[in-house]
Amino acid sequence: MNRTLAVGAGIGAVVALALTGCAASGTPADDPDEKVTITYSNFISNGGNEDNLATIVDAFEKENPTITVDVKTLPYDSYGTALDTDLAAGTAADVFDINGPSAYGQYQANGVLAPLDGVDASLYSPSLLSSYATDGTQYALPTSFSDVVLFYNKALFDKAGLDYPTADWTWTDETAAAEKLTDQAAGVWGDHQPVTYNEFYKVLVQNGASFLSPDGKSVAFNTPAGLEAANWLVQKSGTTMPTIEDGQGTADFDTNLFKDGKLAMLHTGIWMFGAFADDADDWDIAVEPGNTQHANAVFSNAIGVSATSKHPEAAQKWAEFMSSSDTMVDVRLDSGWELPPIADSAKLATYLDKGKPENRQAVFDAAKEIAPAPSIGDNQSEMQDDITNELIEAQAGRETVQQALDNAEKKINALLQG
Amino acid sequence: MADTAVRTLAVAAPRAHGSAGRRARTVLLHVVVIAGALAMLVPFVWTVVVSITPGATLTSTPELIPSDASLGAYGRLFAERPFGQVVLNSLMLAVATTLAQLVTSSTAAYAFSRLPFRGSGVVFGVYLATMMIPLQVLIVPLFVELKSFGLIDTYLGALLPSIASAFGIFLLRQAINQVPRELDEAATLDGAGHLRIFASVILPNIGPAIATLTVFAFMNSWNSFLWPLIVLRSPELQTLPIALAGLQGQYTSDWDVIMAGSVVSILPMLALYIFAQRYVIQGVASSGIK
Amino acid sequence: MTVVGIRPRPPAGRRLRYALVVLAFLLPSAVPLALFVLAPMVGAAWISLTRWNLLAPARFIGLDNYVALLTDPTTGDVFLHTLSYVAGYLPIVYVVGLALALALNTALKGRGLLRGIYFLPVVTSWIAVAIVWRWLLSPKSGVVNSVLGFFGIDGPGWWTDPHWAMPSIILASAWKDVGFVMVILLAGLQAIPTDLHDAARVDGAGWWRRLFSVTLPLLSPSTFFVIVISLINGFQVFDQVYAMTGGGPNGASEVVVQQIYDLTFRYGRAGEASALSWLLFVVVLAVTLIQVRGQRRWVVYG
Repeated sequence: MNRTLAVGAGIGAVVALALTGCAASGTPADDPDEKVTITYSNFISNGGNEDNLATIVDAFEKENPTITVDVKTLPYDSYGTALDTDLAAGTAADVFDINGPSAYGQYQANGVLAPLDGVDASLYSPSLLSSYATDGTQYALPTSFSDVVLFYNKALFDKAGLDYPTADWTWTDETAAAEKLTDQAAGVWGDHQPVTYNEFYKVLVQNGASFLSPDGKSVAFNTPAGLEAANWLVQKSGTTMPTIEDGQGTADFDTNLFKDGKLAMLHTGIWMFGAFADDADDWDIAVEPGNTQHANAVFSNAIGVSATSKHPEAAQKWAEFMSSSDTMVDVRLDSGWELPPIADSAKLATYLDKGKPENRQAVFDAAKEIAPAPSIGDNQSEMQDDITNELIEAQAGRETVQQALDNAEKKINALLQG
Repeated sequence: MADTAVRTLAVAAPRAHGSAGRRARTVLLHVVVIAGALAMLVPFVWTVVVSITPGATLTSTPELIPSDASLGAYGRLFAERPFGQVVLNSLMLAVATTLAQLVTSSTAAYAFSRLPFRGSGVVFGVYLATMMIPLQVLIVPLFVELKSFGLIDTYLGALLPSIASAFGIFLLRQAINQVPRELDEAATLDGAGHLRIFASVILPNIGPAIATLTVFAFMNSWNSFLWPLIVLRSPELQTLPIALAGLQGQYTSDWDVIMAGSVVSILPMLALYIFAQRYVIQGVASSGIK
Repeated sequence: MTVVGIRPRPPAGRRLRYALVVLAFLLPSAVPLALFVLAPMVGAAWISLTRWNLLAPARFIGLDNYVALLTDPTTGDVFLHTLSYVAGYLPIVYVVGLALALALNTALKGRGLLRGIYFLPVVTSWIAVAIVWRWLLSPKSGVVNSVLGFFGIDGPGWWTDPHWAMPSIILASAWKDVGFVMVILLAGLQAIPTDLHDAARVDGAGWWRRLFSVTLPLLSPSTFFVIVISLINGFQVFDQVYAMTGGGPNGASEVVVQQIYDLTFRYGRAGEASALSWLLFVVVLAVTLIQVRGQRRWVVYG
């Protein structure tokens, strides 16, 4: 038995050694005529867009007969776990999805992304493209974007005799309408906005405040303007928005309420268009109201090439195709699979006539005034968790909004300095 | 003789006396156990109801008998993905894991129970210790190790880490400890070696434990999520829990399809349990311990 | 087990043969356990001595991770939450599981079906079931509070209330696991020869006396097994916490393994996560050793 133990320990040591030395480097140039297979690990097609991705892959393989794309689709929730394990072991796919600019920042800083030279920058929306470049070098390419707008139920507005929201609305207008629209006895609520980090950094900017100090070394939200913004999020709960006890914060709670015609206004992403298409009540969207200025949350996904890919050229070809080809643009616009990250507004124009909602222009208007998402590197997830947890404490009334900001400030400053 | 008569009387008297009370107790027991069983069923009823309610939501109370009930979610479940392949993959892995665990557990349990050797207790302690560290932290080193064996994206890579289980060894050791040693000794006198004692004396006497282990080994493999997710890459190797997790989207989820998937994944386990339960009873009846 | 000591030492050839027999019975399990559990455990021990975010090369930092963990108040919190889970969960599943096993071992009508129903939760997967429980325990629209309300009881906020988040998880876990305890104890009960019961009955022992003087002592190997396994598993509670409360509200139900998962895969601190795993290991090992030492006093083998 001691021998077995010794063998186990020996293998353990090998495992430990292997863990340190897995970042391989040096990749030979591809022979253009040789058939290569590249692997693509993604989450963006999961949950209903698998066929749409297959259409894009087919078009790419037809255009590039020497390249085969081997697609692996992972559930969104576990994608990061699988990708990090792969990166740790040096088995990452040649091309993989990156879940937004903050994840990009983390991967780029740790050297797991190959630089992408010679990308035709004119094809991409400049602001989206620049989110995935570091020190002038492109390390990933945006594959899609979406933004958050104000959805509203026309029937409920009509019934209350109120005018529909417009781009000129401020928080005051939204509150006034929400109060009139709320009818708790009938189970109808005026408003819904998630109490989360992703909303918080945005409403800070809507109120002229900002999340981080200009040097990025400390937080800047614990100010009177920041407090007002936090209050804006937290105090809807129980007055114009359902409470946590009502189920607020549970998966799909808000969207189901909207579908059922029990919610007048909903702050959510344009990815919900499809889910609301068959709603009984008519609905439309508007750019979110700001307080001192407009500021919108824009989310994008990106695609990167692994620094250890054996076929970097073929991999980059696929990354470019997946992020800028006409096939991709058509597939995405036809199916409403978020929006292509392209610069050509003429191609995007067809999006405006794709049916409900009427005011699709708001999607593009919102993307013109972006609230930049703070990005702090390795501690990003912990920072986001800290903010969301403290805001929910305030929402549940277990601490004041000021206490929540104080606590969050203390925790996050510690992260920024550690 | 007289002694026996007294005893019989002593036993008979309270029986006659308590028959009404006993009847009431039996009825009460039925009521309590059945009420408990109904309470246990509530989450399933809800799962099934959601699975047949098109566009079901998780937040509003579902109607017990949905007005627009439909099996559409089940249809979509089977149509949307290579579902047959996924079920087959899960079945194969579960059967292989179960068979392997039955072999590795019964042999090790026999050693710990019937083959005394120096350090046996320590070795058993090391075995138990393998259960005490969470899988979440072993994932990365294990993955690196299997990569060096070239087993990433293979069934073998998904299977090997679970072919031996301290749980199964412990379960069977406890069962073998309860088998009277007189049986072994009798076989030894007949000239039987350890292999024969193991196969023809011990195994037939631990039927219930074997059946129990079969159910648990199968179940753990059938429901395992994290490791297969990490180690299996190709869509054609996918297992059921991963396919079901894939139904939950980033932004929205079709709860009717997810719950239909949950119902479908329970069925084989339930069938196995019903089968094993019958075996448990037979095993005891034929064991000859009594 | 003392046989070896009493007998005179057998000749070397016989001893070698015996050693080979022992090895032959142990190797099928020892090799995979060493390869696929012990080896990664050693790997994890090494990682615990490094600063590593899984992406960049690991850097050796000695025992810094352990020092950091022992001075971080979160470590105490997650261990405390985990302990409170075990303390609530174990008595419930054992007592209810035992009661069910005893009840369903009698000549109850439809007991096969009833056993199946009680066992049903065991075979489900937390992924779907946790969502169902979140709904059942929903403070305003959930079934549990509706039923409590029917009896005039004002139900708690369950997973929305920091004090009730852990009880919510314990309740759901007990629902899922009583069937496991029941099945193990049922198998143990069926191995008890009925003549012992008959003899006790003949001696005039009542139900409770027979329970404590015949059934429970003879059931002790199964009980020992159930308690050791439930403790080991209980300390590693994760799936249901992750899916039901996510450790919330504000970390009120955050448990050790969830912290390990977050540190590894979300917070980029795999070294600290490995160190925390080893701390957990030491705690579980200590608890199990106490169990094993204690078993001599109360566990009766046939």
